Amino acid sequence: MRIECRNVTFAYDEGGRPVPAIKGVDLVAESGSTVALLGPSGSGKSTLLMVLRGLLEPDAGVVVLDGSVAADKEYAHRQREIGLVFQEPETQLFATTARDDVAFGPRQLGWPADMVDAAVEEALDLVGLTGSEFGERHPYSLSGGEQRRLALAGVLAMRPKMLLLDEPFVSLDPGARRDLAAVVRRLVESGMGLMLATHDVDQAWSLCDERLLLVGGELVAAGDWDFAGAGAELLAAHRLRTPFFVELWRRLGRPLADAPRTVAMATEALR
Amino acid sequence: MLAVNALIDISGLHYRYPGTAADALAGLDLSVAEGEFVAVVGPNGSGKSTLARILGGLAVASGGHRAAVCGHDLLTEPGRLAVRRDVGVLFQNPENQLVAENVEEDIAFGLENLGLPASEIATRVDEMLARFDLEDLRHREPHLLSGGQKQRTALAGVLAIPRRALVLDEPTAMLDPAGQVEVLGAVARERENGLTIVLVTQEMDEVLGADRVVALERGSAVFDGPPAELFARPQLIADLSLGLPAAGEVGLALMQSGRRFVRTPLTIDELLDELVGSGGTQLTLGGVSEHPSSADDPAHGRWEAHTAADSPAPAGDGGET
Amino acid sequence: MRTSIGQYYPANSPLHRVDPRAKFVAVVALAVALFTRDSFAALSIYGAAALVAFVVSRVPPLWFWRGLKPILWLVVLTFVAQALLARGEAFYSLGPIHLTKRGIELATYLSLRLVVLVLFGSLLTLTTSPISLTDALAWLGRPLRRLRVPSDELALMVTIALRFIPTLLVEIEKIMRAQRARGAEFARGGPLRRARALVPVLVPLFVVSFRRADDLAMAMEARCYQPGIRRTRLHPLVARPSDFVVLGAVVAMIVAASLV
Repeated sequence: MRIECRNVTFAYDEGGRPVPAIKGVDLVAESGSTVALLGPSGSGKSTLLMVLRGLLEPDAGVVVLDGSVAADKEYAHRQREIGLVFQEPETQLFATTARDDVAFGPRQLGWPADMVDAAVEEALDLVGLTGSEFGERHPYSLSGGEQRRLALAGVLAMRPKMLLLDEPFVSLDPGARRDLAAVVRRLVESGMGLMLATHDVDQAWSLCDERLLLVGGELVAAGDWDFAGAGAELLAAHRLRTPFFVELWRRLGRPLADAPRTVAMATEALR
Repeated sequence: MLAVNALIDISGLHYRYPGTAADALAGLDLSVAEGEFVAVVGPNGSGKSTLARILGGLAVASGGHRAAVCGHDLLTEPGRLAVRRDVGVLFQNPENQLVAENVEEDIAFGLENLGLPASEIATRVDEMLARFDLEDLRHREPHLLSGGQKQRTALAGVLAIPRRALVLDEPTAMLDPAGQVEVLGAVARERENGLTIVLVTQEMDEVLGADRVVALERGSAVFDGPPAELFARPQLIADLSLGLPAAGEVGLALMQSGRRFVRTPLTIDELLDELVGSGGTQLTLGGVSEHPSSADDPAHGRWEAHTAADSPAPAGDGGET
Repeated sequence: MRTSIGQYYPANSPLHRVDPRAKFVAVVALAVALFTRDSFAALSIYGAAALVAFVVSRVPPLWFWRGLKPILWLVVLTFVAQALLARGEAFYSLGPIHLTKRGIELATYLSLRLVVLVLFGSLLTLTTSPISLTDALAWLGRPLRRLRVPSDELALMVTIALRFIPTLLVEIEKIMRAQRARGAEFARGGPLRRARALVPVLVPLFVVSFRRADDLAMAMEARCYQPGIRRTRLHPLVARPSDFVVLGAVVAMIVAASLV
């Protein structure tokens, strides 16, 4: 799947007054790639993700999904191939069993019962909440981290080709953060395209190959910038830190291109 | 163990949620002296939040040998009501603590409940607005506040009633990094003014400024000592599922694979010190590192605002463990 | 988003400064008086008073218009109905439709009366903050305590409910968007289907609200709240001589209107 944004602009309507959220955004994201959407709170990250998924219609510009635009017949179908997980998604849980909740999405897509069941089991496995153990549990009996992974399963069950995550690690305790990061990493390794909206530079570094910087609704940087020189200045200009491992490698005098992405990789390299 | 001059003196405390099989608190001992800053850490389900509520007189313990807070007996109803006056409690969710239509009214809420005259309330509210840097937000409605602003307002409202101790239950868990710095900064200032503080948290770098750390596991204390001693026990930190900044995660992993560190590093400077010094002889006979360590530098972790040049705040993930 | 309910317009006008209890009592008295006497003369006195008050209130006319808009259809309907249904000497006829002089007079009177009533109501809500109004009602309802009605607690409940309305609106929107992203459709089908489609929104909303209630109750207790206590206020309601003057003026106006 290939998502393209051309000059996309969107403003919210608050009681008649337009509140601009994103302006003139151009970007490309594809299956198999991992893109971090970096930016402080209020920079328009959530809005951009909603526009990509089609929950909001751009005031100007186009969103092109696998070559089709809004006017085309297959457009709506393509939109449904994008999975969007909102901030604190556990608030969307409503069914009486974990399985039922995860099944909601596939059922809304009109899939036959056996396809729904298969998708649900698959999704539960992907997030580490295996059906046999968690399937019949009531969602509210799960821990916060488990609920969040359950909400993610609800989106994965719809078999998306691209996954858009909006600040997935916020308000999680340390153990839950680790569990979720492992899940996301596994998904990425299996080829899922990922766009991760976050204000955390280290998360962006650890999980994504490319980094977009969104400030005040505008894209000020795109791609996989090099953190030496211009990249570092750009971050500093927007009051963002350099990722920990990049800084560590810089201070150790090692080439920045080799900077590790995870603790495990760093430990290996430092032993 | 009788604690002299103890503000909080608890021994053998039990708590069981109705309808559950296991104790949330199983014979807990805790003593906190006046003016002390004690951090309480532990994984989910270890009883930390339950303890926080009991200390504030807001939950009823199932039993205990001794449960005295500020001289009041937690095991009696009048005692608990009295404790609510002396001990303030700040909770995790900033949204669910604000009741009034704007910031100044919310701060006044507690004082109104005490039946104080309007002029006294007004003076105290002005004091709190200044103390917590909320003056510009006096008439702001709660839904227009940021997370950090909401939590500071809640804190101002809790401390508007003069307190002898403040209990905080994971106050930064739902805040973004900026909000975390705001709230922890406010708590640090109160600490400097002599307020006794009990901070329940899962983040190791919030423990830094504490005099003592008590680690809970399944309802009882498995550690009670200065933070430095806990930092020197990487396995315990891992077992308790505590959150470490990236430097700590790397340090922990290296320690678990055999490297000898003096302490668990929490900042990039500390990590570099350990890495650079770890190859050669680091420990003298007295067990003290020869290298000047940034450990004495109070500007650590979440307690101070960062610039691009400083070491980072905790990373989100811990990689494969 | 400026204000939570949208009806209160903060400003510093003599009307804003009048005690909310006096304003409430005045508006109720005026509403009753409006409907107990049918006379153009009386109506013109009330109408003139409303217009003067609206100027004194320093609230922009647009806000009064916004208050009027929702019932405009009722005003027009009243006018048309009265004009067509009144009996009397027709001066214009077209088939079954007879327009009489009396009909037009009655229609005008009734529609104008409706407008004046809404103006009085708007004057109250535009110049009185929700919390002042709640305080006023709590005070006025205090005698009910003897009948075991917990007026102070009810007032606090209303205050808290008002405080959370904007929060709830945001949360509803978030939940709806999240469920839409999972394929939920809220605008399809008949009423039964739409009601069922709301389950994925209502259940989480309930859960969030119950958890909120729990948390809030504990936070309130932590600040020494207990039902039944006598609470003081940061901004207590203080009746001043000017408030009594206003009440007196309203009484005088009602008396005068009943005599013309």
